[in-house]
Amino acid sequence: MPLAATQTSVPVVVDNDKCIADKGCTVCVDVCPLDVLRISEMTGKAYMAYDECWYCMPCACDCPTGAVTVNIPYLLK
Amino acid sequence: MGGPFEAYSDLDESAERLKAADAGERRVAVMELGHAGDPDAIPLLAGVLADPDAGVRREGARALGEYDGLEAAEAIALALIDADPDVAAAAADSAAELRDPAAADPFIALAGHASASVRAAALRALKELRRGDALKPALEALRDPDPSVRVQAVGVLGFLKREETIPALRIATADADPQIRRAAVSALAFAQSAAATEAIHAALRDEDWMVREVAADTLGNGAAGALVAPALIAALDDAFWQVRLKAARSLGRLRAVNAAPRIAASLVAPQVNLRKEAAALGEIAAASSRPHLEAARDDPDPDVRKTVGWALRQIDRRAAAREA
Amino acid sequence: MKRSGAISMGMDGLNNAVIPGHATPEQYTKEITIANDGIVNQAAVLKYAQRCYGIIEELDRFGIRFAKTENGDFAVKKVHHLGSYVLPMPNGDTVKKALYRQLRRARLLISNRYMATRLLTGADGRIAGAIAVNTRSAEFLVIRAKTVILCMGAAGRLGLPASGYLFGTYENAANSGDGYAMAYHAGAALANLECFQINPLIKDYNGPACAYVAGPFGAYTANNEGARFIECDYWSGQMMLEFFNELKSGKGPVFLKLNHLHEDTIAEIESILHKVERPSRGEFHAGRGTDYRRDMIEMHISEIGFCSGHSASGVFVDEFARTTVPGLYAAGDMASVPHNYMLGAFTNGAIAGEDAAEQAYGLDFAEIDPVDIARERERVLAPTRREDGIPPNQIEYKTRRLVNDYLQPPKVRRKYELAQARFAEIRDDLENRMLARNAHELLRALEAASILDCADMAAFASLYRQESRWGLYHLRTDYPAKDEANWFCHTLLSKRDGRMTGEKRAVDPYIVPVADDEKALYGKQRLRASA
Ligand SMILES: Cc1cc2nc3c(=O)[nH]c(=O)nc-3n(C[C@H](O)[C@H](O)[C@H](O)COP(=O)(O)OP(=O)(O)OC[C@H]3O[C@@H](n4cnc5c(N)ncnc54)[C@H](O)[C@@H]3O)c2cc1C
Ligand code: SF4
Ligand code: SF4
Repeated sequence: MPLAATQTSVPVVVDNDKCIADKGCTVCVDVCPLDVLRISEMTGKAYMAYDECWYCMPCACDCPTGAVTVNIPYLLK
Repeated sequence: MGGPFEAYSDLDESAERLKAADAGERRVAVMELGHAGDPDAIPLLAGVLADPDAGVRREGARALGEYDGLEAAEAIALALIDADPDVAAAAADSAAELRDPAAADPFIALAGHASASVRAAALRALKELRRGDALKPALEALRDPDPSVRVQAVGVLGFLKREETIPALRIATADADPQIRRAAVSALAFAQSAAATEAIHAALRDEDWMVREVAADTLGNGAAGALVAPALIAALDDAFWQVRLKAARSLGRLRAVNAAPRIAASLVAPQVNLRKEAAALGEIAAASSRPHLEAARDDPDPDVRKTVGWALRQIDRRAAAREA
Repeated sequence: MKRSGAISMGMDGLNNAVIPGHATPEQYTKEITIANDGIVNQAAVLKYAQRCYGIIEELDRFGIRFAKTENGDFAVKKVHHLGSYVLPMPNGDTVKKALYRQLRRARLLISNRYMATRLLTGADGRIAGAIAVNTRSAEFLVIRAKTVILCMGAAGRLGLPASGYLFGTYENAANSGDGYAMAYHAGAALANLECFQINPLIKDYNGPACAYVAGPFGAYTANNEGARFIECDYWSGQMMLEFFNELKSGKGPVFLKLNHLHEDTIAEIESILHKVERPSRGEFHAGRGTDYRRDMIEMHISEIGFCSGHSASGVFVDEFARTTVPGLYAAGDMASVPHNYMLGAFTNGAIAGEDAAEQAYGLDFAEIDPVDIARERERVLAPTRREDGIPPNQIEYKTRRLVNDYLQPPKVRRKYELAQARFAEIRDDLENRMLARNAHELLRALEAASILDCADMAAFASLYRQESRWGLYHLRTDYPAKDEANWFCHTLLSKRDGRMTGEKRAVDPYIVPVADDEKALYGKQRLRASA
C-alpha cells in the first residue's frame, strides 16, 4: 500500500530568536529521551521533528537560553 | 576516545572558544567545561565569571555546580556576589550542591556580606557542609534583620546538632517570623535537655497554627514522654484539627496511656483525617479503648475502619502477650 | 543518558526507603510479601531492604537532595500505619543530573543513542554479548561481553492510552519492553507476567495523581460523591480492583480530592507536584482551569504494562540479580523483585554490578556464532530494505489497540484467544511488510517488534495461570477465585525450541515468616469491597 503524508500539530515550540543551536548548542536534542528533536539544516535552529513526545520537559528545563516551550499534546490536552 | 562513546572534550579547545567574539559560542564552550568532569576546568570557569555577557556568566555559575571542593566553592562564591541577579541565583543553586566540608571557607566569609540574599545563600550552602566553625557566623546571623537569612541560620545550627546551639535556638522559637519559629522548634528536636523541651512546650501555645503543629509533632520524638504528655493532651483541644492530629500521633508514639480516653474522643470528630488517628490508640494499646474502637468499626470511611481494625488487633496482641 | 529513563525529570520521593529507626528490613519484607499475595522471592526482597540504606547515603553524598529535618536527618514520612518508607525529595529534579555528574567525574565510557536489540549466547549457553543499532545512523554494533546486565525499564508501551496518543503513556515512553523481549529470545525465564501493571492516573494526562504524596497532607481518592472508597492508598491490584468497581458502580468518575485542605497545605502540595517527576502537570491543569482549591482532579485506570515497580513480574532473578541464563543479570523495573521503584533500581543495580564484575573476572569470552549475528543483522535491517510497506507507527497502534480491546482485565479467555490470533497476523506484517525510511523509523520499527513480543507474553502468561490473584492485575472471569492449593507458585515463561512455554516454580520457603492474622489484613478488605 502506498504512503501518505498526514498533518500533525506538535507540542514543542522553539523560539528561533533565543535558540543558539547555530553556535553549537545541541542540549535539547541530547537530553530528549524520545529522540524527537533535531537541528534544522535550513534555519540552524532546533525543532521538533517527530510527534512522539512524553511531555516530560528536560528539553525546556535544560535549554540554556529558555528557548523551548513544551505544550501538552493536543490529543490529551 | 571516539567510537561509540560520548566524548570527554578537550579543555584547551573549549578554552580557545571561550575567547570567541560571539556570546552564544562562549556559552556553549562553558557548558562543555561543566560537563568535562575534569577539575582542571574549574580555573577556566572561574575566569568566565568576568565575561561581559550576563548569560555567559550565569552558565559559568551553573557549570561550576558540577564540581565540588574548595576551588570550585571559591569561584561559586565569586558568582554569588555578581551584580546580575540571575547569575547570583544560579550560583546559589550551585552552592547548595556542594558536599565537601572543605568548600565551607568562602561561605563562612560571606555570611556577613552586605547583601541579604548573599548572606542567605552562603548560610544555605553551609548547612550540608556541617562545619563546626560555621557555628559562630550562624549564631550571629540569628540576629539578622532579614528573615530569609535567619531561617537559614537556624538550618545551619540545627544540622550541627550541638548542645551549645540550644540557647540560641530557644531564642529563635520566639522570633517575630512564624516560619523561623517553625524551623527553630524542629531544630530543637535533637536536644534532650529540659530547656529545649520547655521551649517546644511553649510553642504549643504559639499564635500560629503551623508552629503549634510542628511543636506537637516534635514532642513525639523525645524520650521525655511523661514530661510532655500533659501539654500534648491539652493540644488535643486545639482550634486546628491539624494540630490535634499531630498531638494524637505523638501521644501514640509516646505510648501515653493516660491520653487514650482523650484520643478516643476524636473517633467521632467530623474530620476523617482525625478519626484515622485511631492508630494512636493501637500504639498505646490500652484495653480501655476497646469499646470506643468497637463503636467506630462501622465508620463510613474505609480508611478509618481499617485503622480501627488494626488498633483493635494491637490491643488483642498486647493482651495475649500479657497472658503468655 | 543525561535525562533518560523514568526519572528523566526526577522523582518526588523514595517510596520504599528502609531507614533504621523508621523501619526494619524484616518488617519491610513481610509487608511486601503480603502486598504481593505471598508470591515473592523473599531472599531478594530482604537483600534489597538490607542494602538500600547504604545506597541512600551514597546518593546523599552524590548531592541528591532528600527531605531532611531541621537536624539534617532524613525526614521519613508516614503514609499508613504499617511502616514508614516514604522519603520525599523536595529537589528531586536534581537526581539524574547528579548521577550523570558522577559518571563524568569518574570518566566512565558512555554511549548514547545505541539501541540494544538482541543478546548473544555461546554454544555452552553462557552470555556472549549483545547487539545494538545506532538510532541516528543505523550503524550495527556487535558487543562482546563476559557478563551483561539488563536494565531497560518497564514495558510501558504495551496498552494504548485512552487519549490514543502513542507516547502519552504512564511509563517513560522510551521503554517499549525491549529488555523483556531480549531476555525472552536469549532463553531467560520471565516470572509472573500475568501480574500486569495498571495504575490510577490523572485522566488523559496519564501521569500519577500522587495520592501517596498528597496523602500525608490529608488528600485522598474520592468518588463522585466526594467520599473515600478505597481501602488501600498503597498501589496494589487490590486497590485497582476497588477503583475498577467504583467506576463501574455508577459512583464514578473517581477523583483526587484536596479541596478540603488548608490553603497553605495546598500551596505546599502544589509546589511539590508541579515541579518534579511530571512537571507539565501544572500546565495540564491550568489548560483545563483545574484549581486544587476548588476542583477535584479526575482520575482513571491506565492502560496495562509490565513493571515490577507495582507488581511482582519480570525477568526472573535471584538475590544476586542473576537470571536463569549464566552471566546474564537483570535489575530495576524489568526484574522480578517486586515494589522496587527507584531505590530498588539503584540498589539491585549495585548488587548486579558487583556480582557481574566478580563473575567476569575469571572468565573468558564465550564464543559467538557468526550465524547468529548474520540472522540478527537481517532481522534488524529488513525494514530498511523495503521500498513500500506499513510504517511502524501503524503496526504499533494496531498491536496496542488490540491489547486494550482484548487483554485489559477482567481477563476473558475467548478474548485472549482472539488477541493471539490477531497478534499472529500483525507479526506476519511486521516481519514481512514493515517499512523504515530512516534510522529514527528503524528505532520505532524495532520497538514495535518488542511491543508485539510483550503482547504475546502477556496473553500467554495470563492464560497459563488458571486462577485469579493480585486484584485487578490478574482477574480471570473463568477462574474468579484465588487457588492457593494449585497456584501458590511463580509462573515462569520462557522460549524453548523456539516456542513460548510455561512452568510452575515453587515459592522458596520464607525467611521472614508471616502470621495468618497479618495475611488476613488484606484478605478482610477484599471481603468488604465485594460485599
Ligand atoms: C511517572 C513516574 C513516577 C514515578 N514516581 C516514583 C517515585 O516517586 N518514587 C520512586 O521511588 N519511584 C518512582 N517511579 C518508579 C521509578 O522511576 C522506576 O522504578 C525506576 O526509574 C526504574 O529504573 P530502571 O533503571 O529500571 O528503568 P528506567 O529508569 O526507566 O531506565 C531504563 C532505561 O533503559 C533505556 N532503554 C530501554 N530500552 C533500551 C534499548 N533497547 N537499548 C538501550 N537502552 C534502552 C531507556 O531509554 C531508559 O533510559 C516512578 C515512575 C514513573 C514512570
Ligand atoms: S537547548 Fe535551547 S539553545 Fe540549545 S539547541 Fe535547544 S533550543 Fe537551541
Ligand atoms: S518534552 Fe520530553 S519527549 Fe518531549 S521533546 Fe521535550 S524532552 Fe523530548
